[in-house]
Amino acid sequence: MMRLTVVAVLLLVLTASFSFGQDAAFDASVDKNPVGMGDQFTLSFTLRNAGMGGGKNLQLPDLSKFHIMSGPNQSSSMQFINGAVSSSITYTYILQPKEIGKFTIGATSIEVGGDVYKTAPFTLEVAKGSPRPKTQTSAPADVTGQIGDNLFLKAMVDRTTVVQGEQINLTFKLYTRVSISNYAVDKNPAMTGFWSEEVENPKNIALSNEVVNGKQFRVGVIRRLALFPTQSGILEVSPMEMQTTVQIQSRSADPFDAFFRDPFGQSVNHTVKSEPIRIKVQPLPLGAPPSFKGAVGRFTMTTAVDKKTTKTNDPVSLKVTISGTGNVKLLESPEVELPLDFEQYTPKVSDAINRQSDRISGSKTFEYLLIPRYPGQKVIKPVTFSFFDLTKRDYVILRSPQIELTVEQGPASAAPFVSGGAREDVRLLSQDIRFIKVGTANLARRGEYLYTSGTFVVLMVLPLFALAGAFVYVRQRQAVMLDEVGYRNRRAIKVAQKGLRQAEHLLKTTSSAPSAQKLAFYAEATRALYKYLGDKLNIQQAEMSIEGVMSELEKRSVNGALAASLKSLLESCEMARFAPASLSITAMQQTYDVARKLIIELERTLKTK
Amino acid sequence: MRFIFLPLLFFGGIFVSFAQSPEEVFARANDLYQQTKFAEARDLYESLIQNGYGSGELYYNLGNAYYKTGNIARAILNYERALKQMPTDDDLRHNLQLANLMITDKIEPTPRLFIWDYWDAIKAGFSIEGITWLIYLLFVAVVTASIVMMLARTYRARKFALLGGVVSACLMVFALVIFAARVSDLKGEDTAIIVGEIVTTKNSPDTKSTDAFVLHSGVKVEIVDRLSDWVKIRLADGKVGWAEKTATEVI
Repeated sequence: MMRLTVVAVLLLVLTASFSFGQDAAFDASVDKNPVGMGDQFTLSFTLRNAGMGGGKNLQLPDLSKFHIMSGPNQSSSMQFINGAVSSSITYTYILQPKEIGKFTIGATSIEVGGDVYKTAPFTLEVAKGSPRPKTQTSAPADVTGQIGDNLFLKAMVDRTTVVQGEQINLTFKLYTRVSISNYAVDKNPAMTGFWSEEVENPKNIALSNEVVNGKQFRVGVIRRLALFPTQSGILEVSPMEMQTTVQIQSRSADPFDAFFRDPFGQSVNHTVKSEPIRIKVQPLPLGAPPSFKGAVGRFTMTTAVDKKTTKTNDPVSLKVTISGTGNVKLLESPEVELPLDFEQYTPKVSDAINRQSDRISGSKTFEYLLIPRYPGQKVIKPVTFSFFDLTKRDYVILRSPQIELTVEQGPASAAPFVSGGAREDVRLLSQDIRFIKVGTANLARRGEYLYTSGTFVVLMVLPLFALAGAFVYVRQRQAVMLDEVGYRNRRAIKVAQKGLRQAEHLLKTTSSAPSAQKLAFYAEATRALYKYLGDKLNIQQAEMSIEGVMSELEKRSVNGALAASLKSLLESCEMARFAPASLSITAMQQTYDVARKLIIELERTLKTK
Repeated sequence: MRFIFLPLLFFGGIFVSFAQSPEEVFARANDLYQQTKFAEARDLYESLIQNGYGSGELYYNLGNAYYKTGNIARAILNYERALKQMPTDDDLRHNLQLANLMITDKIEPTPRLFIWDYWDAIKAGFSIEGITWLIYLLFVAVVTASIVMMLARTYRARKFALLGGVVSACLMVFALVIFAARVSDLKGEDTAIIVGEIVTTKNSPDTKSTDAFVLHSGVKVEIVDRLSDWVKIRLADGKVGWAEKTATEVI
């Protein structure tokens, strides 16, 4: 079937594109001429064979003598006859004349593929009254008079001054003393600024009797609404319009006439319209608690969780049910303060409204799905809900008991929904900042640091001093080392005294004097003397001889006596070394004393040079 | 109650600024904080800073007081100031992280070379005092090694001294680089915190200019340029715009 349609359409389009060869035409027409004053008529412009593109830029003639009731309405059709396609596009306007007379509908133009097509102007006559006979259904003047006050629609409210959110009952009643065969609501009332709840919209109207201005009326409730103003100020309920078909008995005296007429009387269409209603809406008093979200009436609240103990990632359902009378449908979900590691989804809302009684009542249930992500003892803070109590004329705050939940560690299968670092953030958010530092504050003037302080500069310089000192010391030592002669010269006395001390030691331990000991004494004394003289006079030990020493002393012009005694000492030491037996302890003691005296003497003499 | 407190506070303020030592003021402010009188504690801390005092602890405590009084932007500002003084402090890092969670704008920083993270971590590992002392010790070590080298008689001793001296000198150069970086961070005025509630940045320093982007208080920005009453700021994600100077506070 589908395929067939496609093929047919394709065929149609193909053929169409082949055979659009005919010339386009554009003309205007009206459905009736002449037209009665107050009658509506149709003005149509038809474009034929315009091809696939259709027309564009339709330029209307001057229609200022007419009301444009509707239009342009576009319709198109295509005909396919013996392989030739003819298409037409029609633009229609429904007009109503403003005055009586003859009017010319001017040329109308349209563009088709670059060419401009124009209609021929024509004359339209507007006559007084409808030229055609009246239809049965439009009510003649006498009939309207007959219906008159006997049929009307009345809108009624139970109160005209309310506070915002308070219920108003609005009733539309049809009062009649004539018989109505049919009715239909033409125009529903607009209720801007209200939330309305249909209470009653009966299919079959139950009629009752009511006396108005001394006349008995049959009364039917057409509609009953509960209105809740959502804003303050003066609000208006606009009229409702109803089309009724009224059966009226013919008053004609002509029996034949009556005979040929409808045996149930004449049917006449009649429109009834209610009066607009103004309602004064006062704003709610100041001082609304933070949890107030516009609930007005009288409510109670219950909360329940489906389980007290759960596992991580295992959802818990928290049901908050608010029931009572008032604007139940407008109730907003109360905020549930959860521990931060809970995940919360937007609540599932269900309501049950009872429209039977005078006041709208019912309950609204908010079901929160909570998913704990971390184990522990969790506390859901009391849920608060507040409403404006109409009888007390004050706000009432309802508070649920605190809900405690035990969350056990469940299988860690599902990773928490929170992504990436956010989980860490959530965990952190539940913490407080750490406490202040109470110890020593190390308060310092801003911009003052260790490295800018004087102490630090001094500390920094100290090692430099040490470095400088070491440098100076090393330089001095180096100079001394370089001057080896001077060094030996200066060290000579110390070395000599050391040798002599050793000789003295030998002397003291030689009381019983074996000759080897005596020999050692003289050898030591001689060595000390030569070492001293070598160091002091800068003579190599190998070149050491008494003569050499004497000539050096002469060079340094040491006085003759000193040189002579040195020479005799050295000679006696030499002699003793080769003939030790002849020496007595006294001689050794004498040699030692002389050697000491001479060295001190020489030291003084050579230094002064 | 409030009427009794006001003159007391006023008198206290005068007393504080003229008669007490800064340490006493600090201790008093800490007491007030402990008594959860955060606003009064905050004012005392501020008075210390007004009088030219500053330390990591002071900025940290002031940041806490601001946090507790709900001024997250100022809390972040003072935490960041404290961070310059004591970059390794654990409590400080925790509180700053927490405060940063409270601000409206979450700016994803543009990724940068990992080396810079290492560098920052190394820098943060030293307080300015610490690095100063380290440099001093290394300096003393270098000097000692030099002296030993000069005085030592044996080749071995001289060799060890040379080795020690070269190592110390290298370490000292490195420490000096860190020190220079730390000082420039400390003295630098190129980062700021947005303190205006909602700041609309412009594409040029002119109120009539087109809007660049909108920032909320507490965001850390880099200041790249200044022109009379305007500062050119760069966000961590690289966005650049001009903001009025009063909307920012240099860390």
